[in-house]
Amino acid sequence: MRRWTRWLPLLLVLLWSPGARAGAKIKVVATIPDLADLSRQVGGDLVEVQSIATGVEDIHAVPMKPSFAVLLNKADLVVLMGLEAEHAFLPGLLEAARNPKIMRDAPGYIDCSVLLTPLEVPTRIDRSLGDQHPMGNPHYNLDPVALKDAARAIADGFSRNYPEHEDVFRKNLDAYLAKLDAAIARWKQEAAPLRGKKLVSYHPDMIYFADRFGMQAVGTIEIRAGVDPTPSHIAELEDMMRRDHVDVVVRELHYPAGLAATVAQATGAKLVELPAMVGGVPEAKDCISLIDYNLQAMLKAVQGSA
Amino acid sequence: MRTKPRLCCLVCACAAMLLVLQVGRTAAEESDAEQLKNEIEALKRQMKLLEEKIQKQERLIDKLAAEKGAPQKPAEAAAPAAVAPAGTAPAGAATEAVAPPAPEGESQQDKLASEVTERVMRNIRPSLAGANKTFPSQFNPAIGLIVDTAASYKENERANFEFRSAELGVSASVDPFARGYAILNGTNDGFEVEEAAIVTTSLPWNLTVKGGRFFADFGRLSKFHDHDLPFVNRPIVLDEYVGGESQADGVEVSWLAPTSQYLTLTLGAYNKMGADNDRADNDTPRNLTDFTYLGRAATFLNLSDANSVDLGASWAYTPKIPSEGGLNRQLVGVDLTYRYLPLSEAQYRGLIWGTEVLYNRENRIPPADETASSPDQIVVPGLERGPAPQFVRTSALGMPQEQEDPASAEEPTFQRHGAWGLYSYVEARLSRRLYPGFLFDFAQDIDPGVGDTRAYSPYLTLWMSEFQRLRFQYTYLDAPMNHESEFFLQWTIVLGSHVHGFRDR
Repeated sequence: MRRWTRWLPLLLVLLWSPGARAGAKIKVVATIPDLADLSRQVGGDLVEVQSIATGVEDIHAVPMKPSFAVLLNKADLVVLMGLEAEHAFLPGLLEAARNPKIMRDAPGYIDCSVLLTPLEVPTRIDRSLGDQHPMGNPHYNLDPVALKDAARAIADGFSRNYPEHEDVFRKNLDAYLAKLDAAIARWKQEAAPLRGKKLVSYHPDMIYFADRFGMQAVGTIEIRAGVDPTPSHIAELEDMMRRDHVDVVVRELHYPAGLAATVAQATGAKLVELPAMVGGVPEAKDCISLIDYNLQAMLKAVQGSA
Repeated sequence: MRTKPRLCCLVCACAAMLLVLQVGRTAAEESDAEQLKNEIEALKRQMKLLEEKIQKQERLIDKLAAEKGAPQKPAEAAAPAAVAPAGTAPAGAATEAVAPPAPEGESQQDKLASEVTERVMRNIRPSLAGANKTFPSQFNPAIGLIVDTAASYKENERANFEFRSAELGVSASVDPFARGYAILNGTNDGFEVEEAAIVTTSLPWNLTVKGGRFFADFGRLSKFHDHDLPFVNRPIVLDEYVGGESQADGVEVSWLAPTSQYLTLTLGAYNKMGADNDRADNDTPRNLTDFTYLGRAATFLNLSDANSVDLGASWAYTPKIPSEGGLNRQLVGVDLTYRYLPLSEAQYRGLIWGTEVLYNRENRIPPADETASSPDQIVVPGLERGPAPQFVRTSALGMPQEQEDPASAEEPTFQRHGAWGLYSYVEARLSRRLYPGFLFDFAQDIDPGVGDTRAYSPYLTLWMSEFQRLRFQYTYLDAPMNHESEFFLQWTIVLGSHVHGFRDR
């Protein structure tokens, strides 16, 4: 009896280990709610998805909480934006999570940018140009067509790890892409008034949205990506905005309100406050409602200024 | 007389030649212009042909893209097509919802597609091969350099420009089972390997083993490099009790409990702990009783999205310290870090309160008379008084062996002594750039009979960017025999590779 009880703690550990629960749902951890939504759409009933970020954060400053390491420790798959978007928290958390299945470039590490053609790929890597992303601008979650690439990458990743469910993933993917296509068609018509309009955002994270809906992203309040502005930069920006008749100033909701409002007021541009992720505002419950929200807010501003 | 007509003839001949030459040149120029015109015309024709060719290829690519967008299985394609409203498909996406072409056209299109693909691939293959080419240097580790410098003024020691360190960090995966990293540090005292460690990455049961030279898992800020500290100087209690950074040569095993509550347990064995701990060295082989052993437990409480607490308890035990008569030493620490980080404003607003309390318990020789300064004095981090311990020499088994100085044969009086100290700091985030804070230090001397040290340090950190930082700090030091004001201006930069490690959170 004594000998048996001596091994009890070890037995408990083995029973607790993640691989012990056969037949359970596939545990997916997504870095942001947008990817959690796509993962649910593709995985359907086969997956149980949790997101690290809630959606109100700046993706470059998600706090590295140890509780996320626990989440990742138990995960079968991790789904991420890639292009170093999660540089501030994911590498550290993966190190703490001790889960070889989802380490960088392991089969369970699903990078949603692999099928994407990134914008703003720098031709020169230099910190004097700000907090650069060497592989391109990572804020593609605001472009509905790029979301299709992300969904396909998720389906590929799920199928790679669970080939026995590939048919289900492909079927779910096709259904979701059709739904997204219908929405894209609607958005394209609705976005007609945005064509040719110019915007300035706080951070260079509106480029995919602008490109998709025919707008021009002509500047940022940050002097360089990730670097707070100086007074001389703001003066130059305002001069440029007046000269080029910039229509809209976008304040992503995780950036300070004051400066963006001041710039908009000084130049006569309309201020638009937009979430950068699903969950950034209560209305943005999933990827489709996020794009809906952003598009309507932008249209309201542009049509109001016309 | 005859020279004049001869000269006239010569002049006339020259004029005639010049005329002929000029006419010839004009004719030649006209012919060149004509040739040029012809060439331009030919180029225009070529351009037109190329344009037509490009347009043709573009049309073909559009066709192929439409074909590619159509699912292979017509049955599956029917469902999405039905969901999309007719006539509303956008350019980019709509192509994917287009119905498959008529079967009779398929073979011709397939043939065309394969021809185009082949031609395009032939053209781009050299570029692809070039882009995909790998170089042996791509296996080089990520490299970063941190330069830390400061200007200081102390009432008793006066002013100085301090070159604190230039720290080169390299890190990379070793193989599928381990990663490695090294921190090589250059200071005014020379060049040293601050850390060089191997860390396993794929052990079962949430285990991680670390070996080499690294910062032992004792407390929180002991594991931070000097330039990563939230303030200019390391807290006094860590300098005196741990010996600066918790650098250790040895091995550490860490386990993450497979529970929903974050809990890690660490066990370690080291030659010694503390970069500036001179009581033991790394070169002399020793008994198992002479190593330093460590145990640590750490957990995390997520009070809400914005509020959280990190808690840890550490225990370092050295059964015998050979240089001090084989006496044992225990160092216990408790650390608590409270964070308020509103998720939507984490870059701009926040507050951190960090506290560590340490308790040191060991048999200490009472300090000698202040006037009795001799080469026999021992050097303990933060302490420079007390008689040398070499009158008791230990054997390889740690047993007292011989009396070195028969003249001073009297047995030293060891006194069981416990000492404690703490630091506590609070730091606010007012904006992305401004981080003001206040640090309080208190430490009893680990020798009995020596007074306590206190320090009060308000500071302001100004982040120019994520990679450059200025810090202003004032410290009022209240130590035995030393009461002074100190001023610091620290300037730190990061070059090259930069990672946000879990250890430095």
